[in-house]
Order: sequence, then structure tokens, then C-alpha cells
Amino acid sequence: MKHLLRLLIFIIPICIFSFFYAYLSKDNFYPGADYNNFNIPSFELNNLYEEKPLTNNDLEGNYIINVWASWCITCRIEHRFLSNLSNKGIRLIGLNYKDDRSDATEWLEKYGNPYELIIHDFQGSLALDMGVTGAPETFLISNGEVLVHYRGEVNEMIWEDVFISMIREKGIEL
Amino acid sequence: MKQHRKKRLLNILLISSLSGAGVLMVLYALNTNLDYFFTPSEIISKELPKNKRVKVGGMVLEGSVERDSSNIKFVITDYQESISVQYAGIVPDLFKEGSGVVALGYIDKNGLKAEKILAKHDENYMPPALKD
Amino acid sequence: MLVEISHYLSILSTAVFLLTFTLVIILDSASRHSEILIRRSYSHGFVLFLISFLIYVYLAITDNFSVIYISQHSNSLLPTFYKVASIWSAHEGSMFLWILFLSLWGFAFNLSKDSETRIKNISIGIISLIIVGFQLFLLITSNPFETNLPYPPLNGADINPVLQDPGLVIHPPFLYLGYVGFVIPFSYGLAFLINSNESVNWEKKTKSWSVFAWVCLTIGICLGSWWAYYELGWGGYWFWDPVENVALMPWLAATAFVHSLSVASKSNTLRIWTLLLSIIVFSLSLFGAFIVRSGIIDSIHSFANDPQRGMYLLAFIGAILFLSLSLFSAKINLLTAQNELKSQSKESFISLNNIFFGVLIFSTMMGITYPLIYELAYNQKISVGAPFYNAIYAPITILASIILVISIESRWGRGFKEAKKYNQLYVSILISGLATLALRYFKSDISLIILASFFVGILIISRYLILISINLRTNKYTNIQSAIAHMGLGLLILSISANSIFSSERVFNMKPNETKDYMGVSLTFDELQLINNSNHDSIRAAFKVTDINGRISMLYPEKRKYFARGQITSETAIKITPKRDIYITLGDQLENGSWVVNLQLNYFIRYIWFSAILMAISGLIIVGKSSRARS
Repeated sequence: MKHLLRLLIFIIPICIFSFFYAYLSKDNFYPGADYNNFNIPSFELNNLYEEKPLTNNDLEGNYIINVWASWCITCRIEHRFLSNLSNKGIRLIGLNYKDDRSDATEWLEKYGNPYELIIHDFQGSLALDMGVTGAPETFLISNGEVLVHYRGEVNEMIWEDVFISMIREKGIEL
Repeated sequence: MKQHRKKRLLNILLISSLSGAGVLMVLYALNTNLDYFFTPSEIISKELPKNKRVKVGGMVLEGSVERDSSNIKFVITDYQESISVQYAGIVPDLFKEGSGVVALGYIDKNGLKAEKILAKHDENYMPPALKD
Repeated sequence: MLVEISHYLSILSTAVFLLTFTLVIILDSASRHSEILIRRSYSHGFVLFLISFLIYVYLAITDNFSVIYISQHSNSLLPTFYKVASIWSAHEGSMFLWILFLSLWGFAFNLSKDSETRIKNISIGIISLIIVGFQLFLLITSNPFETNLPYPPLNGADINPVLQDPGLVIHPPFLYLGYVGFVIPFSYGLAFLINSNESVNWEKKTKSWSVFAWVCLTIGICLGSWWAYYELGWGGYWFWDPVENVALMPWLAATAFVHSLSVASKSNTLRIWTLLLSIIVFSLSLFGAFIVRSGIIDSIHSFANDPQRGMYLLAFIGAILFLSLSLFSAKINLLTAQNELKSQSKESFISLNNIFFGVLIFSTMMGITYPLIYELAYNQKISVGAPFYNAIYAPITILASIILVISIESRWGRGFKEAKKYNQLYVSILISGLATLALRYFKSDISLIILASFFVGILIISRYLILISINLRTNKYTNIQSAIAHMGLGLLILSISANSIFSSERVFNMKPNETKDYMGVSLTFDELQLINNSNHDSIRAAFKVTDINGRISMLYPEKRKYFARGQITSETAIKITPKRDIYITLGDQLENGSWVVNLQLNYFIRYIWFSAILMAISGLIIVGKSSRARS
């Protein structure tokens, strides 16, 4: 009887803890990550640096799209990590979101430009079509198809758990 | 001594039956008072529980908000499917076209009749600044 | 530079706390010498950590945006008051404060005198170890000292406007103080087990600590409810939000614990249960920290998500819980020689209500975890809302209240008095029965469960009032703190049920100079004003409100736009009268130029918070009495 009672006080905590362990170790635990696949909507927007329209045809292969703006502090924090990625040779396309061109270029001049190409989405129209609600947001894209949509700051851990694991799963190369 | 043991047994019985009844009551109340959470696509593709309150989450479709007197109508979308929502009351401050929303209510043939509208906010993740 | 010093001091403090723990293990004795050494070592750890925090506060006040955390949550336009509060507006900084409070409780305990030197030393060791665990959590997974040099931003991102409010500035600190305060009974109880001398009355020694922590938690929850009421604009005082629930669970457990402490220290019964409760209360407090900080639950209050944090916390809290439970089950034979629980004694009623507390805690735990279990099992998101909690809390509270009223007559360690005097009980039943009938007569559409809660609310209050008045006349002793706390409970039940019976709301479309009438209130939209403030612009509407008795007052609900994030918030305007609040929120402007205006009449809502204040006061009386008794 007594032994049973002693065992009993452990059972409830063990249940609760193992449950939360299982919950936390689910692969798609990151609430910011969205794995719905869709094709990049067609668009025609200016390049941030030149008055030259960019369309879907200017984006080819596998790459990352990062939504950022100069008014976004979190983007400023994410910037350091993005620069590392860019130094490692990862292709980053910037989507400058609801931002003044002069503010954006000034920001890049100050902190450095990790992007291969930057789309200037002043109205936020492409962003809206892609389901963007704020900044920063990051997409993993393979041949025009969105594989991962991440809302919020990307750091080492999120890159590893969300992006790299998808890249491995699909066997693609950036 | 026998008296003593009998009493003890009675106590244990009382405690376990009361706690057991409590646990059953909790489980019963849980099963009758759940709100199901769906995205607009799931509403189209899944079978919905009948006469149950549901939560629908997604984005407020840009250009879909209509207001008449104290009612507000809008469309929640997940960029694949959409559902129209009617609500009488004041929407939260963070409610905006093109931003995240959760509506709680009952589904009928016209869409969702909402009883409550919640807008999502997050500390670290910023909505774009409104330009002057 | 300063931020590095602050960071360094925190690391140093972690090392000193670790040293304190090691000292406790090495010098396991009751000698005067070791006591002094351990006490000094702990104090040094605390002072280092305190200085580190104060430097951090200074950094926030002086707008040092090279610190990432400050740049993300503060802004140079903010008033100084909020610059300080921005520290606990998000995860890293609030964890910093949380640990500071944890070590502060330990510090106060450390300075107190205790004849049981060995138990005190061991408790300090346990507290130090817990602090070290959380400090490592802070430094490893949620470092508030990280900088974004060499290019600090020119200005910060601002604290969330919804959180820019005096209610926010004070409510988390009180909650944290309450949560972590239970570390004292927890570690003292464990130290008592390690020391293995069952004659020590640890329950009595930790009572005022526990009650004081309970008071802080009560005030913290009450402030949170009050803040949500006027700031969120929904007009409710409790939303059964998971983050509210994780504060409610330790409060319920602590209430049961404080009662059991009285029983155990007075009658040598329930000692095992009380010890187990001390573990449960502290674990539930830590569980709250885990839920809020792991990102498991989506809530308007929850902090940013990071599974690594969740794993660390889960592992650490799990370790604390399993070590303490193992110790408990290994050493519990120590306490088997206790007195038998007498039937119909005060302690038997308290034990019965302990079961009800248990059911409430269990139901709340299920309300939080069931949606997660469901999601894991069926891949379908669900949520559990107010109907579930009402279905559990209302009947259980009514049952527990009835047992409370019966137990007023009972005595410690014995059954009822020989000649049972039920007259007082009958009078109070009569009073509350008549009041309930009168209510039913005036308003017929009230559900049975609400009528029943109304009844028990009045029953508790009238029973205690009769008791106090008779005791005053016959010069008998009244346990005043118990009377105040339980009348607080009665008032809480009464005001919640009256609030749900009478409150109502209405949404209007109004243009300036229009007048609308609702339930005896006449509302006139006077004018709109634009006002510029240091960090926001606001549109302020002026409403002339004429109450049913002809009294006129002006109300100014606002819509604010904050510069730093462009976020829009509403400020409610509330006219407080003894009976009800007239509560106005300004909604959006419609295309035809009129405004959506929400008018709510919230009855007796002030008494809900007042009842919590009564409970807190009674707790303070207990703390005051026992500290006077000690000196």
C-alpha cells in the first residue's frame, strides 16, 4: 500500500514531463515556420538600386528570400547572421518591404549588403501575395516554389532546424 | 485497533471517491466545452463538428473589410481558401487588413458568425510602421 | 563598457552562489562558524547580482541601445518610468528580474535568525543551487547582455504600447515576487527532511514566509486582472488565458498549503500532505515560468518562442521536482507517527477542502495541456475556453464554500461542541435565502448555478458578520485574519455572480453631437480632439454621460498612435460609481464619418478586486502577528 502511494506521486509528474518533452521535440515545433508549398506569385517590381523592373524570370534556381526593412530593429539583429550566410555562399534575395528607397540604401551602406539582388516592394504587394505580415520573414525557394516560410528572426538554430533540415530532406543545393 | 483500521479505510475511500468524481467531472466538462481551431482550407476540406464553436485563424484579406452601422464583415484567408466573417462589435486595435486574426464563432451557410475577434501580437516581431 | 561589467558581475554572482552550495555540502554541520561563512557567501552572491541588475537599469534609463535587448524593447522617447519597466516587458529582462527576486527572498531568509542552524544552512544551499540553475539558463539561453556593436541602432524599437501602462509596470514584479517566494517553504521543507528530526516544527517556522509570498501572488493576480480590464478594452476581468491560469494554479495550491500549514503546526496531522504541498506549490510556480517562456502556448502574454529554452527549463524543473520527490518518498517515514484526524474537527474540514483545491488545480492543468495533447494525438488544434472553467469552478467553489461555512463552528483537534448551537448558521441561511429569493423575484432569467453562487456568497459574509458581532458583544476571541480572508472569498463569489447577472453592453454608431440612451444612461458625443504627446498622438473623444440619477460626468476614451512602431491602441474611459462602472471604448471611424462606440455597464466589478485586497490584508495581519510573536 505504502509503496504504491510512493510510486503514485511520481506517476503524474512523469506523465506531464514526458508529454512536454514529446511536444517540444516535435520537428515542426517552431510556430513561426509554415511548410505550405506554393509558387511565387507573378510580380513586376523595381530593383532597389536601379529603375529596372524585376519579374519572376529574374529569379532562378534555389535561393532564400528575406523580407526586411530599415525601420525594423529585428532585421538589424538578423542582419549579422544573414551576412554570415552570404559569406558562406548562400544565395540571398532581399525583399525590401514598405520602405523608402533612400532609407533602405543608407541602411545597407552602413551595415553591409548581404543580398545578391533586392526587390523594392514599396507597396508591399508581392509581400501580401506571399502572405507576409511583418518583417523580418524568410522564405526557402526551390525553382520558383516556396518550401518554407518563416515569420520572425532567423538565427543559427532556426536556420539549422527549419531551413537546413528542409534542404536536406529535399536534397537540393543552395 | 479494528475500529481504527475501519476508519482509515473509510477515509481513503472518501478521498479517492471524491477525487475520482472530480476527475470525471473535469474530463466530461472538457469534452463538452472544446473550441476547434481551423484554417480556411481545413474548413473546406475537413468535416466540421456540428453546432460547435470553432476558431478560424488566418489573414484578413486586403480590401475585404466592409462596415455597416455596428456590423463588420471581412474575409479570412490562408491564401488558398477563404471564409467570410460577420461580427457585431468593436474589433481589436491590431485588427488590420493583411494582418493575422482569429475569429471565434459558429459556422452557417453564409460563413462564420463571430462572437469574438482576436488579433495576434508578438513582442519581437513587428508589423510595418504606418507611414505619414 | 558598463554592459560588460554588468554581464561579468552576473557570471561572478553565479560562481559565488555555486560556491555557497559547495560550502553547504562541505561544511555540513551546525557550527556557528559554518553558519557565518555560508551566510556571508550567499550575501556576496546576492549583492553582486543586485549591482549587475542596477547597472542594467541604468543602461536602460540612459538609452544604451548597443544592448540588443534594450534596443528591442525601449525607446528614447519613452518616459523614464517605462524605460525601467521595459526591462521586464519581454523574456530576457523579465527572467533577469525573476532571478533577482528569487535571490532576494533567499537573501531575506539568509538574514533571518533561526535556532535550527543545520536546517537553515541546508535551505540556503538548496536555494543557491536553484539560483545557479536559473542564472545559467539566463546566461546561456537568454542572455540580456548581448550587444549589437559595432553598429548600435540610433533608437530603440519601443516597448509594446499595450504594455505602456502603470498596471504593467507593477503587476509582473508582484507576480514574480509571489511565484519565487515559495522557494523558502520548499527548500526549508526539504532541508527538514534531510535533517531528519521530526520534532522540528518546520511548518510554524515557514508560515509567515509562505503567507507573505501568497500575499504577493494575490496582489499580482489582482493587479493583472485590473490591468487587463481597463487596458485590453474587453471589459472583462478574467479571460482564462493560459498565462493567467499558470498564475492561478500556484495560487490555489498555495492557498491550500497555507491552510494545511496551520493544521500541521497546530495539531500534528496532515504533516506529510503539507510537505508534499510545499513541493507542489513551488513546482507549479516553476511550471508557470516554463509555460510562459517555452513558447508552447500561444497567448497574448507569452514571450517569443525558442524550443531550446523550453528544453532547458523542462530539464531543470524536472530535475528539481524529481530530486525533491525522491527525497520526500525516501524520508517520509519520519512523519508517520502523527495524530489521527478527528472527524468533524476543523482539520478534517480543511482536508476535505484540500481535495476541492486539488480538483480545481487538476482542471486548470487539463485546460492548459488538453489542447496540446489533442493536437499531438489528432493533429487538430482546439482550445478550451471560459465555458469549461465555469463548468468546473462554479460548482466546486459552491461546495467548498458550504464546507467552509459548516466548519466555522468546528474546533481544532475535536468535534463540534457538545450542545451544537446552529442558531447563527440558521440566521445566515435565512438571510441569504431571502436575498436570493428577492433577486429571483426581480430578475427571473438567472441560471441555477449563478443563483447558488449568489447564495453562498451572502452566506459566507453574513455568517462571519454574525460571528464577529456576537464575539464582540460577549468579549470572545475572533480569529480576525481568518474572518477577513473568508469574507473576501464571500465577496469575491458574490461580486462575480452579481457582475455576471447585471452587466450588459451595447455598440453604437455615433457622430459628434449625437445622443444615445441605454439602460438609464444617456450618452452624448461632444467632440473629438487631437492631442500630441512625447511618444504618441492621440484622438480623444469627449462624451457627456448622464447617469440614471441625473449626475453628469465627462468621459474621454482615446485612440492612440505610437510613433516608434506605428501601433494603434485604444484607451478606455471608465466612470466608477459604487454600484457599476460605465465603460466606454472608442472603435473605428466608419466611412460616413460616425464612430463605433462600445458602452458597457459593468456591475460590482470593483468589489472583485477589493475582495482580493481583503485576502491580502488578512495575509499581512498573519505575517505581522507572527513576526511580533517572534520578537
